[in-house]
Amino acid sequence: MSKYIPTIGIEVHVELKTKTKIFSSSKNGYGSMANSLTNVVDLGYPGTLPTLNEEVINTAIKAAHVLNCKIRKKQHFDRKNYFYPDNPKNYQITEARTPIGYDGYVEIEINNEKKKIEIEEIHIEEDTCKSAHRGKVSLLDFNRAGVPLIEIVSKACIETNEEAKLYLEKLRQLLFYSDISDCKMEEGSMRCDANVSLRKNIADPLGTKCEIKNIGSISNVGIAISKEIERQAKLLDQGESFQEQTRRFDDKLNDTILMRVKETGNDYRYFPEPDIPYVIITDERIEKAISSLPMLPDQRKELYLSRGVSEVNATKIIANRNLSDYLNEFLDTNLNFQVATNLLLGDISGYLNRQEKEINQTELTKEKFIELVKKVEENTLTSKNVKDILDEYLETSQTLDELIQKNGISNITDESLLTEVVDKIILENPDSVKDYQAGKERAIKFLMGQIMKETKGSANPKLVNEILISKLNK
Amino acid sequence: MKDALTKEEVLHVAELARIEISEEELQMYQVKLKTLLNQIEEVTKINDHDSDYLIAPWQEDAILRSDTEGEMLNSKDVLMNAPRKSGNYIEVPVVITNE
Repeated sequence: MSKYIPTIGIEVHVELKTKTKIFSSSKNGYGSMANSLTNVVDLGYPGTLPTLNEEVINTAIKAAHVLNCKIRKKQHFDRKNYFYPDNPKNYQITEARTPIGYDGYVEIEINNEKKKIEIEEIHIEEDTCKSAHRGKVSLLDFNRAGVPLIEIVSKACIETNEEAKLYLEKLRQLLFYSDISDCKMEEGSMRCDANVSLRKNIADPLGTKCEIKNIGSISNVGIAISKEIERQAKLLDQGESFQEQTRRFDDKLNDTILMRVKETGNDYRYFPEPDIPYVIITDERIEKAISSLPMLPDQRKELYLSRGVSEVNATKIIANRNLSDYLNEFLDTNLNFQVATNLLLGDISGYLNRQEKEINQTELTKEKFIELVKKVEENTLTSKNVKDILDEYLETSQTLDELIQKNGISNITDESLLTEVVDKIILENPDSVKDYQAGKERAIKFLMGQIMKETKGSANPKLVNEILISKLNK
Repeated sequence: MKDALTKEEVLHVAELARIEISEEELQMYQVKLKTLLNQIEEVTKINDHDSDYLIAPWQEDAILRSDTEGEMLNSKDVLMNAPRKSGNYIEVPVVITNE
């Protein structure tokens, strides 16, 4: 298989998070009763006219900006003509010739190297109605008809399924953080098509491409691409030529299957949409849209790193936007971010996962979190103490001092008392002492653990560590 | 035939329009459609810069609508015009097949 070089291009459709549809004032929503969010425009009734939602333009400008695209200031819409029950007008309104964004890129990191995945264009279009296929019939729900979409078209510069997955993950993160879309692939608010072709040498022209449509998850994009590479390689090995085709990924078969092809290319007979005049985007609109963008993931990461957070923790925090937004509330305080992220990703995340809650659904006010971080930082609270009181701390309005008192948490800082315990443990564990003296640093962790056990987790760990090391080094 | 489309071309256009045509109509359209295309070609000679062509029958730029919800149709009314329905869905013959 390695004798062929894959060339992969990806098209991503993303539903925009606006209140209403692109060309009508119907609600843009998911999960409502079928055919309950429509009006005559969405249903394509004769004589109705589209009116363009300004928030669609604003949101698309944001998308173009975060994906490093140039923004076109004068554009028009086109009709893409086809007969299919998902679109009773018999055309979809799209931007075929004047995409709002072009020449952009998304940066991914693969094998510790940065790579730019180039973006050919971003264009705005309307979504079609949703059709579900049941045996001999298809069921149509027009709630989705007219939901605003942007289609993001990458250049065919992706070389492996791993790159494809990283690109999509980055794209999803950027669009989600920018409030452009909620990017839920399981609900169809982000949908991917992949174009795959193979060639023997990099100097050869591109091979015959096949398009895989509507892949439902990022991991399935990876599987679909590798299956398609396998399929094409086999055909090429056997010396067979094949035609361009459209396939779809079937997650039950875990493979791609051939679809009957609809119209393609010229068959769509694009022409300018005469019902919508030129759309002019002013500099003022662009500036306003861009300045309303929240802080993006890369910017957040940089800030966290500058506050002493580890690379691993910074990446993990950004993977959970609620936690990242919460942490950002402390940017203008002198909170210890290292301790704060450890707490957020450790016990607090554990609690949130168990309770299926988000951090803003707890009683952890800004003041309470500052207090908690401070006490952990000063070693007034051990990690065991935190575990003991955290649930109550997150669920009630009790202060930390109240809980410490209530739970009888004593933090032993009495040096003579601790020295006694340390001596006892050293005496009981001669092997570990020898190990430490022979240079095995890990032995100290074991001894620390024994001391904490002996004191039921109430010893001040910083103090114990100091006493233990001085004793061992004697 | 220089002044006519091929039969295949006409049949392809008919297929895209989802219409059936007779042999007689086929021959007629081979000539008529070609005539039409020739006339369009004349028009394209007039103006070859396509960045500013007329797209709408008036000159003003698009006026954008604010993103506020308006009235919607009752789903019962929506389904009234559907030839077949299933629950709250509009039912049509299956539109996707795997070959």
